[in-house]
Amino acid sequence: MRNALAIARKELGIYFSTPWAYVVFTAMLGISSFFFVNLLATFKEVQSLARMYGWARLPPEYAMFKNLTDGIVVQLWDVIAVITLFVAPFLSMRLFAEEKRNRTFELLMTAPVRPWEIVLGKYLGGVGVIWATLGLTIIFPITLSLFGSSESGTALEWSTVALGFCGLLLWGATCLGVGMFVSALTESQMLAAFLTFAVLLPWMLLRGLAQSAEEPWRSIANHLSFSSQLSTLSRGVLDLKALVFFASVILFSLLLTHRTVEAQRWA
Amino acid sequence: MTAMIEVTGLTKRYRDRVAVEDLTFSVPEGEILGFLGPNGAGKSTTMRILTGYLPATSGTVKVAGFDVFEDPYEVKRRIGYLPETPPLYPEMTVRGYLKFVASIKGVRRGQMATELERVAHATNVTEVMDRLIQNLSKGFRQRVGVAQALLGNPPVLILDEPTEGLDPTQRAEARQLIKGLAGQHTVILSTHILSEVTVTCERVLILNQGRMVAFDEIKKLAHALGQGDQTSLEDIFLKLTAAA
Repeated sequence: MRNALAIARKELGIYFSTPWAYVVFTAMLGISSFFFVNLLATFKEVQSLARMYGWARLPPEYAMFKNLTDGIVVQLWDVIAVITLFVAPFLSMRLFAEEKRNRTFELLMTAPVRPWEIVLGKYLGGVGVIWATLGLTIIFPITLSLFGSSESGTALEWSTVALGFCGLLLWGATCLGVGMFVSALTESQMLAAFLTFAVLLPWMLLRGLAQSAEEPWRSIANHLSFSSQLSTLSRGVLDLKALVFFASVILFSLLLTHRTVEAQRWA
Repeated sequence: MTAMIEVTGLTKRYRDRVAVEDLTFSVPEGEILGFLGPNGAGKSTTMRILTGYLPATSGTVKVAGFDVFEDPYEVKRRIGYLPETPPLYPEMTVRGYLKFVASIKGVRRGQMATELERVAHATNVTEVMDRLIQNLSKGFRQRVGVAQALLGNPPVLILDEPTEGLDPTQRAEARQLIKGLAGQHTVILSTHILSEVTVTCERVLILNQGRMVAFDEIKKLAHALGQGDQTSLEDIFLKLTAAA
C-alpha cells in the first residue's frame, strides 16, 4: 500500500507540473460556465412566463424550472457528465502509455513493487486529478445558494445537489478506470485517448443506439448504458443499482489493467 | 565463494528470431563481470531477463538463490538496475525523482535524506538536485540513472552501459565509482568501451549473436588465443566476434 501511495503521489505531482491538468481545468470550467449561464437565462425566462400565466398553463416539461435544484443544478450535472466523458481520456491517456514510451515502465517493473500496487497507485493518482477537475464545478451550486432565493427556505436542496455531485465523482472515476485500461494497452498517448473515447461514447449512447433493437436486447442495452445509469444519480436519487453498476465497471477495469501489467512478465 | 547470480541454459526467442541462446554463467558474490558484445548481441535482453522485466523462453536465472520467475519480488528487492535508456521522468526534479525511486525501493522515511545524500555524492549529482530532469545534459541524466540504481544499497547491480554519454573526466569518475563497488556488491556491467572493462572487471563475458563466445579472465583469454600478455581486450573482442 505504501508503494501504491508513493506512485499515486508521483502521478499527481506530474499532472500538476505539466500543462495538461490546467488545460483540462480550464476547459471544464469554461464549457460548464457557458451551460450554466444558458441554464440561468432559461430559468429566468420560464419563471417570468410562470408569473404571467401561472404554472398550470405552461407545458409540463417546464415544471422542472420551478426550483433552482431541478431547474439548474441537476441539468448542469448532466452536462458536466458529458464534458467529463470528453476530458477523462486526456487525463487517463498518459497513465501507462507514457511510462512505456519513456522507458520508465522498466523502472516500475524491476522495482520491488507488485503489479497491483502499480495499478492502484496509478488509478488513485488519476482519480485524484479528475476529482480535482470535477471539484471545481461545485462553485456553481455555491453561487446559486449565495445569490439565489426560493419560496421554501434555502435556495437549493443540498442533499439532492450533494448526491448528484457524488454521482458525478463516481462517473469520473469510472471514465478514468476505462481510460487507464486502454492506456495500458498501448505506447501511444493519442491512440489511448482516442480509443478510450471510442469506448466511452458508444457506451454512453447505448440506450439510444439500441432503441430499434428487439427485446430482450433493448432492455439489456438500457441497463448497460451509462446514460440510463447516470440519469438517476444526477437527480440525487440514491440508486443502489447504479452504484453497483459503476463500482463493477471500475473494479473490472482495474482487474483488466492488472492482467495487462502482469502479462508483461509472461510475454 | 557463493554464486550471487546463476544463469542456466537461458534462451530468449522472439517468434522466429533468437535473441539469446543457451547462456550459462555464474557470478560470485562481490565480483564485477564485464558484459561485452557488438550491438544487438543480446546484452540488454539478458539484463532485462536478469532483472525480471522480460521472461525467458527457457532456462533459469537465480539471484541470491531466488528464481527470477518464481520469486520476482525477492529478486527485485536485491537488484539495482540501470536500463539501456535511463528511466527518468522529465517533469520531475532530480530530488523528487530519487525520493520517489527510494520510496518504492523501500528506503525508510527516516533514512531518506541520508540515502539521497549518499547516492548523489557518489554519482556527483549534488549540484543539480533541484533542477528538472528535462533540463539536464546527457551526462547528468546518465548519472541520475546510476544514482537511482544505487538507492537502497542493493547487493546486486546490473548496469547497462553506465558510462554512455559521459565525457572522459566523468567516465574516469564513473570507473572509480564502479571499482569501489567491488567486494560489497556483485556487478554486471555492459559497455562498449573496452579499456573500461580492462580497468574495472576481473572477468568478461563476450556475447555474439546471442551466444556466449568467451567467459573468462581477461588474461586467460589472451593466452587461449595464443597470444602474449600484450594482447589488448580489443584484439580479443574483434577476433571472437568476427568469427561468427
